[in-house]
Amino acid sequence: MAYAELHCLSNFTFLRGASHAEELVTRAHELGYAALAITDECSLAGIVRAHVAAKEVGLKLIVGSEIRFKDGPRVVLLATNRSGYGKLSSLITRGRRSATKGRYKLELDDLADGLPGCLVLLFADPLPALEHAQAIAARFPGRAWLAVELFRLPDDAERLAAASELAAASGLPLVAAGDVHMHIAERRAMQDTLSAIRHGVPVFDAGDALHPNGERHLRSFSDLAQLYPQALLDETLAIAARCQFSLDELRYEYPEELVPPGETAIGYLRRLTEDGLLRRFPTGTPDKVRAQIEHELALIEELKYEPYFLTVHDIVRFARGRGILCQGRGSAANSSVCYALGITEVNPSCMEMLFERFISRERNEPPDIDVDFEHERREEVIQYLYAKYGRDRAALAATVISYRPKSAMRDVGKALGFDLEQVDQLAKSMAWWDGRKVNPERLAEAGFDPANRKVAMLIRLVDELVGFPRHLSQHVGGFVIARGQLSQLVPIENAAMPERTIIQWDKDDLDALGLLKIDVLALGMLSAIRRALDLVSAKRGQPFAMSDVPSEDPAVYDMIGHADTLGVFQIESRAQMAMLPRMKPRRFYDLVIEVAIVRPGPIQGGMVHPYLRRREQVEPVTYPSEEVRGVLERTLGVPIFQEQVMQLAVVAAGFTPGEADKLRRSMAAWRRKGGLEHFERRLIDGMLERGYQEDFARQIFMQIQGFGEYGFPESHAASFALLVYVSAWLKCHEPAAFACALLNSQPMGFYAPAQIVQDARRHGVEVRPVDVLASEWDCTLEKAEEGTHALRLGLRQVKGLSLEGVACLIATRAQGPIESVEDLARSGIDPRDLKCLAAAGALTRIAGHRRKAYWDVAGIERAMPLAMGHVAEPQPDLFPLTEGQDLVADYASIGLSLGRHPLALLRDRLQRERIVTSEELSGLPHGRLVRAAGLVLNRQRPGTASGVTFLTLEDETGHVNVVVWRDLAERQRRALLGARLLAVYGTLERHGEVAHLIAGHLRDLTPLLGNLVTYSRDFH
Amino acid sequence: MLWLALHFHSLSLEVFSRGAAVPEPLVVVEKQGGRTWVVACNGAAEACGVHLGMAAPAAQGLADGLIVCKRDLSAEQESLAGLAVWAGRFTPSVSLEPPDGLLLEISTCLSLHRGLANLLKEARSGVGEMGYAATMACAPTSHGAWLLAKAGIEKAVRETARLETILAALPVALLGQPPAVLEGLERIGAQTLGDCLRLPRGGVARRFGQALLDELDLALGRRPEARAFFVPPASFERSLELPAPVHTAEALQFAVRRLLPELEGFLTLRQAGVQELELVCRHERRNNTVIKLGFAKPTRDAGRMQLLLRETLGRTRLEAVVHTLVLRAPLVLPLSASSADLFQKTREADGDLLLERLRIRLGKDAVYGIETAADHRPERAWRPARGPKRAAEPNRHRPLWLLPKPLPCHDGSLKLTSGPERIESGWWDGGDVARDYYVAEDKSGAQLWVYCDRTSGEWYVHGVFA
Repeated sequence: MAYAELHCLSNFTFLRGASHAEELVTRAHELGYAALAITDECSLAGIVRAHVAAKEVGLKLIVGSEIRFKDGPRVVLLATNRSGYGKLSSLITRGRRSATKGRYKLELDDLADGLPGCLVLLFADPLPALEHAQAIAARFPGRAWLAVELFRLPDDAERLAAASELAAASGLPLVAAGDVHMHIAERRAMQDTLSAIRHGVPVFDAGDALHPNGERHLRSFSDLAQLYPQALLDETLAIAARCQFSLDELRYEYPEELVPPGETAIGYLRRLTEDGLLRRFPTGTPDKVRAQIEHELALIEELKYEPYFLTVHDIVRFARGRGILCQGRGSAANSSVCYALGITEVNPSCMEMLFERFISRERNEPPDIDVDFEHERREEVIQYLYAKYGRDRAALAATVISYRPKSAMRDVGKALGFDLEQVDQLAKSMAWWDGRKVNPERLAEAGFDPANRKVAMLIRLVDELVGFPRHLSQHVGGFVIARGQLSQLVPIENAAMPERTIIQWDKDDLDALGLLKIDVLALGMLSAIRRALDLVSAKRGQPFAMSDVPSEDPAVYDMIGHADTLGVFQIESRAQMAMLPRMKPRRFYDLVIEVAIVRPGPIQGGMVHPYLRRREQVEPVTYPSEEVRGVLERTLGVPIFQEQVMQLAVVAAGFTPGEADKLRRSMAAWRRKGGLEHFERRLIDGMLERGYQEDFARQIFMQIQGFGEYGFPESHAASFALLVYVSAWLKCHEPAAFACALLNSQPMGFYAPAQIVQDARRHGVEVRPVDVLASEWDCTLEKAEEGTHALRLGLRQVKGLSLEGVACLIATRAQGPIESVEDLARSGIDPRDLKCLAAAGALTRIAGHRRKAYWDVAGIERAMPLAMGHVAEPQPDLFPLTEGQDLVADYASIGLSLGRHPLALLRDRLQRERIVTSEELSGLPHGRLVRAAGLVLNRQRPGTASGVTFLTLEDETGHVNVVVWRDLAERQRRALLGARLLAVYGTLERHGEVAHLIAGHLRDLTPLLGNLVTYSRDFH
Repeated sequence: MLWLALHFHSLSLEVFSRGAAVPEPLVVVEKQGGRTWVVACNGAAEACGVHLGMAAPAAQGLADGLIVCKRDLSAEQESLAGLAVWAGRFTPSVSLEPPDGLLLEISTCLSLHRGLANLLKEARSGVGEMGYAATMACAPTSHGAWLLAKAGIEKAVRETARLETILAALPVALLGQPPAVLEGLERIGAQTLGDCLRLPRGGVARRFGQALLDELDLALGRRPEARAFFVPPASFERSLELPAPVHTAEALQFAVRRLLPELEGFLTLRQAGVQELELVCRHERRNNTVIKLGFAKPTRDAGRMQLLLRETLGRTRLEAVVHTLVLRAPLVLPLSASSADLFQKTREADGDLLLERLRIRLGKDAVYGIETAADHRPERAWRPARGPKRAAEPNRHRPLWLLPKPLPCHDGSLKLTSGPERIESGWWDGGDVARDYYVAEDKSGAQLWVYCDRTSGEWYVHGVFA
């Protein structure tokens, strides 16, 4: 007996399909099906996963899609060959593009050309009109069937009879199909739940919206034989045999217009590279670089990757032309060719990287270059791409948004009839650090009994639903560009954002099929660096570019070594700051390591401490073999970069480069899907065979697991390290410009404007208040005494102020002096804006203190049109605000204060309670019991730190780093998560320059702040 | 003029809690801007750390067993009207200050109540007896008295000059001005009424509107005021929701005591009395229990009423727990009028006499209609209907007679004539079924609806085809 299932939905038919594509494929294979068609509704979003899984188990996969026509019946279309696939993909594109996100609209007329290369199954239930059946038969001559689907309902026999009649009348042959929604019958509860969610009703009210039974699963041969006449089952095989298309046939074709007529791609690339080398090395290209260039160009030519490099070069050239700062990273980015082309700035003569490490002959996959752009100007680049290649050739990759515990809890909770408040409670009980599984303890805490039947059901369903795709969203910047119509390759649909289109595949799908993608990403730090460079240029009166930043400046490394890095790219985080005084970076490559080592991968893999011990020369640097030395020498024998782990697999365990790459992919996915086990065996056996110790082998495997999705490739780290260095240099030598640029690039980074300003002032920068007579929209630099510059806060800091208001103000200022609020009001500026300015204290020079300013401003509001002129009225006696009131007003309006720190005002009181400042703390010895207090700047609970929460407190003298262990966090959850001003009683732990306060008790002192508004940046 | 202001600062809480002592933490919440906030809480809740303005879920997180009531504005309105009725015992000049205040003009009735001190004492104990709490203040202007009461300054101020001094120190937030005005005042540092008074009047009017000046003037008596007085309703009916269900009639007495003073005030105001009272006890899903009290002569003496109530309640057995109590005076008589029985009860015949009789005979739940329900499980595909319902489309695959419970079937001679129909549904309520249904014929030729349970493999008869 044999059967091929031709109608099967995966969970990419959102809220209908109740199984992952991989589960369906595996189950179909177990049951011995001859083939399986994945036919998601007007979608190919799940097909690549299915394809990969089918290849793995050796099942024949058919590509198809279910379509409901607005004006007619429901069909399944199946692709028989590459051109049929293209037709199907175009049809789906048409349907999706003519409806809003998540919907589609197709009519029978859309099949007018008969979709050559596709087969069609018309469904017999509900029985289609004879004219529809005849129309289908006419448009798909010899390629159309009437599909009968039976689910053990009381009228099965009648339906079969009716279908036979229609088949006879229309000339369509009959075939069996299963309308499969799940891989096993046990998914019935899940499927019912999805239906209930789709209809927006609780499952017990869903009634007929639910299927009457669980028959829509992959059924066994004996079940099928009981239901269908043999001929109908046999027909499935005939159809399957005609479907010969495989996704492996898809070939990516690079765009070709970048090469000028009359030139070859490699010739043009070589010309650009040579031009670039002249610019980079005006005195002559070093031999080492020259050799590397030749090697790379040969490899690029051999693998036909020229168009890829040309495409990236074109984008970067566009950005440079517009003055948009950008930088490439990614596996191929750190090649000498990329350096010559201006895609990256990391000088290859300073690095020891092998290009081959990033592009390999064996892997046969496209090179990977991500380009970061200034975050506020990336849109210009995207629009350039659309304009250059057209919307039918360029589109963004999708990101599959999947159910997470919180969203799953919300939807399942509603479907099971928990009331809305309960659902909220439930969802809230899932904190951001609770991971992917439902934690019954949390539910108990939130007042739900995990043993309760309904709650148990909820937990089971939520666990099952987590990881199901919910919808497609746009990837942060992954562009796919094709030579011809992109829709022939993959369906394109509308994104939520107007004028945005995405393809139905995500990054992993593209990767799996070897399709090219260029990441056009947004990076806030680039905006900040560009701004700082502009400010420095203006200040110095001559252009100052990133390449003008002197390299290897000891003063910069001194600053970094003291963890004085607030605002510096990457190394401003709490964890990085804790590492810096131990790492004490002294050269560029140290920064590359620093960036890569403080990552969940190396931390979880236990690489950090061995590396530090070796670096501090507490532990000898040893290698188990010469081969391993070759791989790990630059990192003192400890694997830190993703590539090193892969290389280890090659040199120490005998993996082929292709296998190592597979390992890398599995590393990226195992947290989601699992599946590292067979690599474990293979790796450890391989290493034992080659004479390595089992301990060493196990340790390497553990490190691989730790790397998971978080490991940093060396090339990424190098590109990032460059930004680290440049931003650190700016902070060190141009602190005013740097702070100014950071403020103008907000929101970004770990710290709020208040901290950036505090830090700048601690470094001797004079910061001037927002002033209606002096401030621009952005923060600016003003000349101060002795050739120094002061930072003038910009109007962008003022809460509630409109852009029009600012434009109006600046225009008025240009026309003549402003001496009173009335002068200002005459400009036509909105009274609401005036009130914002008064609240910000920006009117001080024309109206006096905040209260006087407000009195003046409020008087404008109800005045006649301003031509009426001045109204004489007595001035009231208004008292200025007290220092504390001013502080509150500052924070409320501009989010920071140039007055004393709030803690300075509370210091007397805190001192009575024996709470010390962070400055005093730095003079106290290890192990001392102390009390500290401060504003909570941020809370972090890294997934790697087994439940430890890190807090940063700020007082008037600096920061205090607090560590809260899990049991205390559980006991004092409220204070930990809720306090804005927190006192911590604990033990000081000091290692050299690094000090932490290990919390023993927390006290929420927020009420002392009164109305002061402060924010903490908690990373979720 | 002398005004007495009563500010019922906890009214939104008391409408829930005054029926009985509530030892559990209790909060009243109100939805505002998409979130639910605590707008009132009792002492027990406060002790757990709950405070006003807190988000409701946060409060739930703090206090175990927290009772959460949604704010009931209409109950508050009703309570305030009831209080106004009660206040009629002191003066006919009672004015409402919604949502939580009463203003009484008392200059003419001081001697009747043996002086101000005595009147205040009476008022305070009256409020307390009814289960409310109020801050009270007297002043020559109604708004002045009201501001004092809201500020919690329980003083009797007779002279305007002194009133001005005291009012000057009060915070501006007490004023009945829109939030924008209050915010503006805060912005210029005007924190007290005195600060406002010191500002140039023209400037204030331009910036904050004439209404602000008017309110200040009103409070200080610089502007005449015209208040509308409360007109009591013609009949008396007051209900009281009990915070926790009450089981015994005796326990009801506590609650009834809360209502009697209002009745007394009402009757005083109307110069009337009652000869019959109805105490209606409302139960969950059960008809009300009506307890009637008859007096030999019309009366408005709360003490007498209470005495009689105590006796009557002592003899009453409650059939179910009571959640709400209603005190009703169906007929109000001039106190001097004769006590003749003026009304006779006539009972309207029920529309559907047969149904009524059947129900009385067989029990209320034994007679019902049926309607279909959307559920794949046959036993849940229908449900009793109270009223007549539109007939549903008959399903020809289902038997007309479904057995109340499937019967195990061991009859090996059954002949299966069609099927199976597979039904798998209902996992969500613990009644998951997985069955294959068949139509079967027994030896007598009867058409039965049988199924095989797919979990146990057992066979059952579930229905009979007509």
